[in-house]
Amino acid sequence: MAASISGYTFSSLCYHSANSNSDHEGFLLGEVRQEETFSISDSQISNTEFLQVLEIHNHEPCSQLFSFYDYAGKVNEENLKRILKERRKNVIGWYRFRRNTQQQMSFREQIIHKQLTHILGVPDLVFLLFSFISTANNSTHALEYVLFRPNRKYNQRVSLTIPNLGNTSQQEYKVSSVPNTSWNYAKVIKEQGAEFFDKDGVMKDIRTIFQVYNALQDKVQAVCGEVEHSERLKETFQEEVNKLKKQIALRKIEKEDERRLQEMAAVEGRQVPEEHKNTCPAYNSRAVCPGNAAEEYSLENQDTSETPPPYSEVIPLDSTAVNTETSTAYLPRPQAVGSSSYAPPSLGAAKNTGNGDGSSTDSSQGTPGSGVVGQLAKGEEEEEEEDEDEDEEDSSEYENLANEPSESSDSEFSQLAEGRPASLRPDGDARNSQASQI
Amino acid sequence: MTGRPMRVVGWYHSHPHITVWPSHVDVRTQAMYQMMDQGFVGLIFSCFIEDKNTKTGRVLYTCFQSVQAQKGSEYERIEIPIHVVPHETIGKVCLESAVELPKILCQEEQDAYRRIHSLAHLDPITKIHNGSVFTKNLCSQMSAISGPLLQWLEDKVEQNKQNIAELQLEKERLTLELTDLD
Repeated sequence: MAASISGYTFSSLCYHSANSNSDHEGFLLGEVRQEETFSISDSQISNTEFLQVLEIHNHEPCSQLFSFYDYAGKVNEENLKRILKERRKNVIGWYRFRRNTQQQMSFREQIIHKQLTHILGVPDLVFLLFSFISTANNSTHALEYVLFRPNRKYNQRVSLTIPNLGNTSQQEYKVSSVPNTSWNYAKVIKEQGAEFFDKDGVMKDIRTIFQVYNALQDKVQAVCGEVEHSERLKETFQEEVNKLKKQIALRKIEKEDERRLQEMAAVEGRQVPEEHKNTCPAYNSRAVCPGNAAEEYSLENQDTSETPPPYSEVIPLDSTAVNTETSTAYLPRPQAVGSSSYAPPSLGAAKNTGNGDGSSTDSSQGTPGSGVVGQLAKGEEEEEEEDEDEDEEDSSEYENLANEPSESSDSEFSQLAEGRPASLRPDGDARNSQASQI
Repeated sequence: MTGRPMRVVGWYHSHPHITVWPSHVDVRTQAMYQMMDQGFVGLIFSCFIEDKNTKTGRVLYTCFQSVQAQKGSEYERIEIPIHVVPHETIGKVCLESAVELPKILCQEEQDAYRRIHSLAHLDPITKIHNGSVFTKNLCSQMSAISGPLLQWLEDKVEQNKQNIAELQLEKERLTLELTDLD
């Protein structure tokens, strides 16, 4: 089986994944075709092979985790129907994006996959797993992806091709003609070949194809304009929704304060006003600074409907690239974990001369950073990532598996557990001891 | 375009099929840029990589600057932390860049063809051949780049319509909730 996905669809998947502060998932839409490949070899006159080609045309991202399944991994058909609507018939697979995890399906993913296979009626449903890892100093990041065919033997993996333009070196233009002194040749090609050229000596095909290209480019510009317009509209609505949420949170605080004041007044009688003012100055200051209060409370008492403040508010705007500690402290990104070393493949020409000097000093900074990150991840994303606790536990089990390859059920991939880069290292230099293992 | 003053802060290039680490040339080029601007950074994206054994595809990116241990010695790479900051929407500049790509490719093709076309000594067959190469290459660009780009843009419009409808509903719901609280 061969699978392909366009660069744009792939980058859209990356975009949605990178934008999520937790795992991300969604459905893959496309089609599966049977292609006949025909080959001739010395041993056989004709050799036909049937190749299943899976084309991913598009993806349907889920806005939240657990939108079509629960903590036990039970798929909710109603929710699934609501999410997919009429696109259901185009579903050929689903995908998940996780950070710092092994390239293996988790148990929950496996049981969800079985149910989806059955509910959607796609016997060969595929699963695309994205995994994101970074070096301890956050200078180098990798997105890994594997396409699984879980319903086949041994959880078969399929190569995913991203078709590219290919060779654009324009070596196919001929700068000279094959020498020929034949009069007949010259006469025939001139007379008959004239068909191809217009009165200006320009090839007609060139003009035609250029027209096609221009028409296409005009369309691209036009639809791009539509996208830009809709992105700005989406932005406006999102801002309004966020503002309303803050206002609601604030109103709730104010009401809570009023209620408590009334309660205390009722219980303690006349003495309350003085005592209350002394013991609870915080309430007064909160009433005075509603903006701050709303933010504090929205961080602490998050509903599932609340979204965390956008990164642009959280990151100090004057942080420089060198300021690793403070910038990692504000970004709730988990640090690279694991102990397996990774020597990136390098060709002779591309081998770098640097030996990661920068990283050896940064790796020590990585440790306190990850501690803060761990706390921040817990505090800020608690509500949204509660559901992640199970996944985190799963991944920590997988981290143990990295050191005990014999536990892997998949014997042909047992060495993957060791060779697989759970953490990225620049260069595989022996001096670089990764101190940031959690 | 953005309404804010912008300046070039770095350069990027891709390493298709090869390692993400900068070559000697890359490191030297970066060093040159740093002479004009100390804060200039280099980004490299490595793509179209597949580990044949595990069928794992990879896309990597790294950020670096160059440093010279001593005057006259070879330049070396130093690592610069880089973070991709999440953003709920795609900016105008990004969209314009995306749409610019097919234009650039077509322009390159036209330039190459123009150079060939100016050669007068080519016989008609060779001219037809070259014209066909141009046609073929433009077709390749349209099917590999323009087409998928257009599809992605259309899908995005649809997706956004959906999101906007959902946001509108949520806005109404929240407005009601707010008025109920008052």
